Amino acid sequence: MKITNEQLKDMYLTMLKIRKFEKNAMDKFAEGKIPGFVHLYIGEEACATGACAALRVDDYITSTHRGHGHIIAKGGDLNYMMAELFGKSDGYCKGKGGSMHIADADKGILGANGIVGAGHNIAIGSGLAIKYRKTDQVCVCFFGDASTNQSTFHEGLNLASVWKLPVVFVCENNGYGISVSQKRHQAITDISVRASAYNMPGITIDGNDLFAVHEAVGEAVERARKGQGPTLIECKTYRWRGHFEGDMTVYRPDGELEAWMKKDPIPRVEKYFIENNVMTQDEINKLNAEVDKMIEEANKFAVNSPAPSLESALEDVYSDIVEEGRVR
Amino acid sequence: MTSIGIIANPASGKDIRRLVSHATVIDNNEKINIVERIVLGAQAIGVDRVYMMPDSYNMGYRVTDSLNTCDELKCEINVINMMLFDGMEDTLNATEYLEHLGVGCIVTLGGDGTNRAVAKAVKNVPLITISTGTNNVYPVMMEGTVAGMAAAVVASNRFNNNLFISRDKRIEIYKDGVLIDIALIDAVISKDVFVGSKAIWDMDKIEKIFVTRSHPASIGFSSVLGCKKIISPQDDFGASINLNVKGKKIKAPIAAGVVNPILTEEPFIMKLDEEYEYVTKSKGTIALDGEREIVFPKDQKYIFKITRNGPYHVDVIKSLEIAQINGFFQDIANSDE
Repeated sequence: MKITNEQLKDMYLTMLKIRKFEKNAMDKFAEGKIPGFVHLYIGEEACATGACAALRVDDYITSTHRGHGHIIAKGGDLNYMMAELFGKSDGYCKGKGGSMHIADADKGILGANGIVGAGHNIAIGSGLAIKYRKTDQVCVCFFGDASTNQSTFHEGLNLASVWKLPVVFVCENNGYGISVSQKRHQAITDISVRASAYNMPGITIDGNDLFAVHEAVGEAVERARKGQGPTLIECKTYRWRGHFEGDMTVYRPDGELEAWMKKDPIPRVEKYFIENNVMTQDEINKLNAEVDKMIEEANKFAVNSPAPSLESALEDVYSDIVEEGRVR
Repeated sequence: MTSIGIIANPASGKDIRRLVSHATVIDNNEKINIVERIVLGAQAIGVDRVYMMPDSYNMGYRVTDSLNTCDELKCEINVINMMLFDGMEDTLNATEYLEHLGVGCIVTLGGDGTNRAVAKAVKNVPLITISTGTNNVYPVMMEGTVAGMAAAVVASNRFNNNLFISRDKRIEIYKDGVLIDIALIDAVISKDVFVGSKAIWDMDKIEKIFVTRSHPASIGFSSVLGCKKIISPQDDFGASINLNVKGKKIKAPIAAGVVNPILTEEPFIMKLDEEYEYVTKSKGTIALDGEREIVFPKDQKYIFKITRNGPYHVDVIKSLEIAQINGFFQDIANSDE
């Protein structure tokens, strides 16, 4: 896999954006400024970043309830995202969807999703559409370990394989389905082995290694573009925060979080940069400061955005059917 | 008390080569099936205790449950009580501990990478190596029952081990006079600039290959050399070969289902214990037994040396033949009564 220093720096920038966006969301939620629920992606940044960096702008992704990282990595706008989290009218869903419904069709982001396992079949639909239109686009379907117990996972992989759809299934195995350890909800340790039941390649990689994720997803995307069908990639990773903000994580054994924090994907990339003269520590610090500013701007944008009007509650409920049967 | 050890790598058989080649997935349930047969084969031939490396899939406990359920477990299975890291450290630590326990033989389940990890830690305990990995030169496909029987023969200590155990070669890599790593089969100089998904498959990026042995039937990078010159495990030399520079093209099975033409020079024979200096021409990585491990900058000097310091390795067929010739299977059957 060829990768330039500029591409590496872009990926690092994306990881910083995710980390700092999520830390800000954590703080603002604690301050009571974000309504509803937020499910934070801190610790898993390498998965979304490495995977989306292997995609083109016109490729698709489907996301999950823990979707901020995927959306940022696919080019989502920080201002619109933050405004949506704040429930403001300039947000992606005009402040009416919140964290779990952010979508941006122009950027191929087919939506975060509050339903566990709902992304698989949306990905299959987009894969079928790609095949029907005869383009060489690809859809990456992100999901967690517990969703692979849902029927949608099995239906999705089955159809993707039968129809040889250009879908790359990226399982972010963070070890827990809400509060239930994978050891208690599955009789397997490596979700990648489920691929063999659907006659597709399945591999397990270190999800905290940006290079490993980018390399594996890059190969799977290339395979999908050539019409060789779907792939299942299991990224072993860990969410530092609870399932949602406010979750006390009493189900975690002592020392587990600390052990995973030692595998933090961001310092691993920084170490590589310094050892291989990609960036100096000063340049790293400068980039961090720039991202801090971006997050502060997003905060200001969200704070200054008006709340949705009462009347708007009845808007966007139904689609307008226009001529030629197309939905607007 | 006759005991053996088992190291079954839960991570083997699942890497990116399922995606970039046509390699098979070996899931952990299949490894459990193999371990069950090892235990059954070993206990039938006199093994009283089996020690197993612990792992995140609890293979040792699953084997115990399964054999207890069908009332076939006669020996004792002890899963080693040690801290798990879900990485190579587990194999290193378990190997050291098995040696400390004094087991008569260690059976490994994995690929070349797994056995390289065992080889880094093992000193004198002989190995029986079963392939459940990807590019498998060091371990071979073998029925677990037979492996268990052979392990029991070795652990019985009744025979002259020199008849069926030999010491393998290894590649030693030195930097600034310090041994930094080893490989059992091949060390490959690649232009890949990071470790990433570890496995290596892109021939265009390969600059040089060092091998301890080579054969056209050995899947992986050693086959490139093997398609030009066969070097057996018994030969007291290894070799290196330059790629993608000049010379003639040759076809070799570099991965499962991948037989590609490669531009090669003539092999250079490396005698045992002879030092070979290599200075890196650009940034890159050294892959050891198929996995990128060492990241290097330009102009870094390394010494490569082929030695006979590898693990002691059991010839399974020969061990069973010696046991048969000496009436071992008859003795064991009669002592059961």
